[in-house]
Formats: sequence, C-alpha cells, structure tokens
Amino acid sequence: MKMTEIAIVGGGPAGLSAAVSAAASGARVTLIERDDHLGGQLKKQTHMFFGSKKQYASTRGVDIADILQEQLAKYKDRVEIMTDATVIGIYEDGILTIEQNNKYIKMQPQRIVVATGASEKFLTFPNNDMPGIYGAGAVQTLMNVYGVKPGNNVLMVGAGNIGLIVSYQLMQAGVTVKAIIDAAPRIGGYLVHASKIRRMGIPILTSHTVKYAHGKDSLEKVTICKLDEKFQPIPGTEQDIEADVMCISVGLSPLAELLWQIGCKMTFVPELGGHVPLRNGEMETSLKGIYIAGDVAGIEEASSAMVEGRLAGLCAAKGLGYEAENYEDLRKDCLEQLNSLRSGPVGEKILKGLSKVTA
Amino acid sequence: MLQNTGIPTKEDIAGVTPSLERRSKGPVAVIECYQKIPCNPCYTSCKFGAIKEFKDINDRPEVDFDKCTGCGQCVVNCPGLSIFIIDESYSDKEALVKIPYEFLPLPGEGSFVTALNREGEPVCRAKVVKIQNAKYQDRTPVVSLTVPKEYSMEVRFFNIEDYFSDNTYVCRCEELTMGELRDLIRMGYRSVDEIKRISRAGMGPCQGRTCRQLIMQELAKATNQDMKDMPMTTFRPPVKTIKLGALLGGDKDE
Repeated sequence: MKMTEIAIVGGGPAGLSAAVSAAASGARVTLIERDDHLGGQLKKQTHMFFGSKKQYASTRGVDIADILQEQLAKYKDRVEIMTDATVIGIYEDGILTIEQNNKYIKMQPQRIVVATGASEKFLTFPNNDMPGIYGAGAVQTLMNVYGVKPGNNVLMVGAGNIGLIVSYQLMQAGVTVKAIIDAAPRIGGYLVHASKIRRMGIPILTSHTVKYAHGKDSLEKVTICKLDEKFQPIPGTEQDIEADVMCISVGLSPLAELLWQIGCKMTFVPELGGHVPLRNGEMETSLKGIYIAGDVAGIEEASSAMVEGRLAGLCAAKGLGYEAENYEDLRKDCLEQLNSLRSGPVGEKILKGLSKVTA
Repeated sequence: MLQNTGIPTKEDIAGVTPSLERRSKGPVAVIECYQKIPCNPCYTSCKFGAIKEFKDINDRPEVDFDKCTGCGQCVVNCPGLSIFIIDESYSDKEALVKIPYEFLPLPGEGSFVTALNREGEPVCRAKVVKIQNAKYQDRTPVVSLTVPKEYSMEVRFFNIEDYFSDNTYVCRCEELTMGELRDLIRMGYRSVDEIKRISRAGMGPCQGRTCRQLIMQELAKATNQDMKDMPMTTFRPPVKTIKLGALLGGDKDE
C-alpha cells in the first residue's frame, strides 16, 4: 500500500494548482495523471488566456502548463508525480486504486483533491456514429498535441468558447471551417472570439441544428436546418454542407464518477453542466477530507479552475495541520479572484449554479 | 446583430471609433470589445494610462484617445485579438491599419494582400508595409497594411491571396485581367460601355453577369466616383447567347 498525505487526482490546471499550493503549505503530495504528461487541457490551448495577471491572462494555455510545472518543481522533495496513472476507484475507507502501466496500485491518502475535469457532451442525430464526427476537444487534442490534421472541411456544431476557439485553431492549421452552427439564438462564447472568426469569412449560424449526417464510409455531407424560438425545426429550411469532419461542441459535463463512488452528496445543476458535488467555502465536499477543484466542481473557464485548485490545495493542507504562513491572506485572495472572475454578466449563470451547491 | 452573427453593428462600431480629428493626427488604438467579460490585459498592458482604470475586471475598455500613442502594446496582449491600430496620417490618401495575425505563412513586406471587412468580404487591395513579430509579442505578429483612407474603419483582416492582383480575371469569358482593366482606365476609358467596346469584356457567354459589377467597382475606385452616379451599360436582346440556328429557325414572317 502506497501512503501519501494528499492525493490529487488529475494534473490539469486545477490539479496542478492544488498540488502547488498544498506542497507550498508543507504537505506531502502525490499528483496522479492519466495522461503521459501533466497540464491537462492546457497542453492544447495555443490561444491567449482571458482574465487578469493572476490567472496568467495574455499567456497561452500551453505555456501556463509549463509555468505551473515549474512552480511545482520547487517542491520536488515532497511531491510525487505519477503519469500514465488512472485512478479507477475510491472506496469508503478512503483507499484509492490506480492503474499504472498495467499495474494495480493501492494508495492510502489522508486527504484527496478530485480535479478530474470534464467530458464532452454529445448530440443525437441519424448517423452520429459515422467516422469523421468528433468532439471539438478531441480535434483540438489531435491537432495541437499530436499534430494530426483531422480533415479538410469542417462543420462546427456549437458556438460556445470551445467551438469558436477550435474553429480558429482549425483555420490556423490550414483546415477550412465551412460554418459554425448553434441551436441557441445567440452566440454562447465570447463575442471577440466570434468576431475574430467571422472576419475570416466563416458564417456563424445561430438557431440552426444538425438534422442528418450523410456518407458512405465516412462523413461526406451534413444536412442542417433552422430552428424556431421553441427549438423546433422549421420545415423547408434544410441545407446541405459538404464536410468530411463534424465537430460537436455542445458543452461539457463534470467527470464526477469517483465522487459518486465514494458517496459525496451530488445534485443536478444545469448551470454547472450536470451533476456536481455539494461543497463548502473551502472546496470540501460533503465527505470530510474529499476536496474538489476545476470543472468537476462545475464547468467554468480554466482561469477559475486554477484558482479553485489553489484554494482546495491550501485548505486540504490546512486540514492536515500544514497551515501556510499567510494562509488567511492566500485564502482571501483566492476567493476575491473567483468573485471577480464570476462578477460580470457571463458569471451570472455560474453564480446561480453555485448558489445551489454551496453550503 | 453581434450576438447572432459575430458581426458588430454600425452603432457598436460608432461607439468605439475615435473622432476624425484624432484619427488624422496619428496612430490610435481602436478596441472592438463590446461585451462585458472577465478580462483586463489591455488596461494592465498600457504604459500610457490611456485605457481607463477597470473598477471591475468585467468592465469594457474605454480608451482616452488623447493619451493613446498607438504604440500597439495592447494589440498583442488582447486575448480576443479585438484591438487594431489606425493611422490616418500615413499619407494623403492612405491609412495604415495594424492587424494581429496569428497565421502562417506571414505575408512578405511589400507584398499585396486582399483586405477583408468584419464579415470576411474583400474590400480592397492592401499593401503590407511592415510586419512586427518581436519576442515580447509572444507569437502574435502584427501586420501593417496600407488601405485607402475611407476603409480604415472597415478593413479588419486580410487574405494573403491577392484577389485584386493584376493577373486576376475580371471577365472570365473574354479573358480581361485586372491589370488590363487598370491599364484601360489609365488610358482614359471611363465607363463600363467604353471598356466593353475596347476589350469585349461582357460580350461573352455570360453577357456581363460576372464582370459588369467588378468593372464598375474598379472604375469607381480608380476614378473616385460613387457607383450610383455611374452610367450603366446598354442592355439589348438577347440576354443570353443563342445559336444562329435558333434565330434562323423562327417563324417565316419574323
């Protein structure tokens, strides 16, 4: 049995930040990441981040992953990093089971920070299992992490930030984006992203959805149609778009299986992307010693995920008796940053969602 | 509307446009950020205090155009790539528009590109006069284009392909190129009809459907005319080409 003080599940923006603040407080940390590298989604984010300096605004996501790892390297005497390691279960006695390189490992941590992130939502339409139909995040990974071009002509479904950003990056990679469609009557992502793509001549069609995917062995054509105010298809508005790739970018849901397993109190909050755990002001769930941070706690931007990670790491360490020197200041700073990131019109939805899960 | 299409309205744009007087004085930042989002690097990166202090990180940027020097620091720090530098003092007829451009290949300095508007439609031919790609820009190069002054608040992107190059066909039926058209205009031909008679443009299978508009646009631009004041071509039957046999096969009395 492996022992550690704080196990952090997930090495993305939230998990890395939690590891930094827990280790900086003095705790022994094991960071467990299923991929062969740390950074999570940051690794494929070649665009500049929004937010303020404290969340590395204007820095590209991929570089933020490096910055966080450099910060973590300062505490390498008390940080263990496990990559290619997937946490496959959490049990009632607090034991984690991990699969790493085909080995089954048991671990007993004193505190756990779950920062597993999110998975992509999908759509139901005829032939949605056809090759050429991807999640937008998957295409972003293919392109930006592995350098693989997904195809030549893309239809992007979803005009949220991910749909808009991935469309832009597809164009950067020399792929043609035929159109971005969204069932909602308004563009969900930041309008500066939308304008940036629109001025490249890519149409953004709101109130449109996918009706049918066509193709022999793989995607060749997509029939889209217009929707009325009640999201019902308007007959006669069908049009065909020739595309060999369709990216589905219709939102994310928290990846909360581990939290369900161990019995955290969960509730369904559409504003946060699905089922999320109840938590207190320290990011601790209904179960003592189990903390959360990032998209698993509710879908938001990576900037908030990093701050939540800082907060969860700080509080988990304090729970073990490792109180950072300026703990109160650091904690307050995290809360202030979160408040400020969520204070505007785009944060309203998040705040509404959080009001349903915060004790 | 911006929220449905990504295209800002005239009112949106009017709200962020510096005065004509200020624009003619020299370079100035135009920040086309119309939505309250949690983001402030434009404000924190400005060394001249030209962007009003953000009380809240969701505030929209407000530029003090008198303090703005048009240095372009905010352009490369804006994660939304929504900031442009406009300089209408560049020359008598031309303005400089600086555009953040995160694509490869970069155009060559001195080359011509096709300037696009906010909808991605071609506006005019533009010359690339400078490319800034210093380390501090962190892989967001800034391309400086010269465009006719009246397009300074319209041109917001470009296509590296020079649609309006001299080799481009204006009339595909009769193979009149843009270069030949420009030569004709320089020689003094001033109407679509004149150009049609000298070059046969518009007399091929499509009967001018493609080139009529293009020739008028180029004429209007080259001679500073408004298209609505320009004479149209003469329209005579047949509107499409037909075979002589079809004419011969008519009724006996026709």
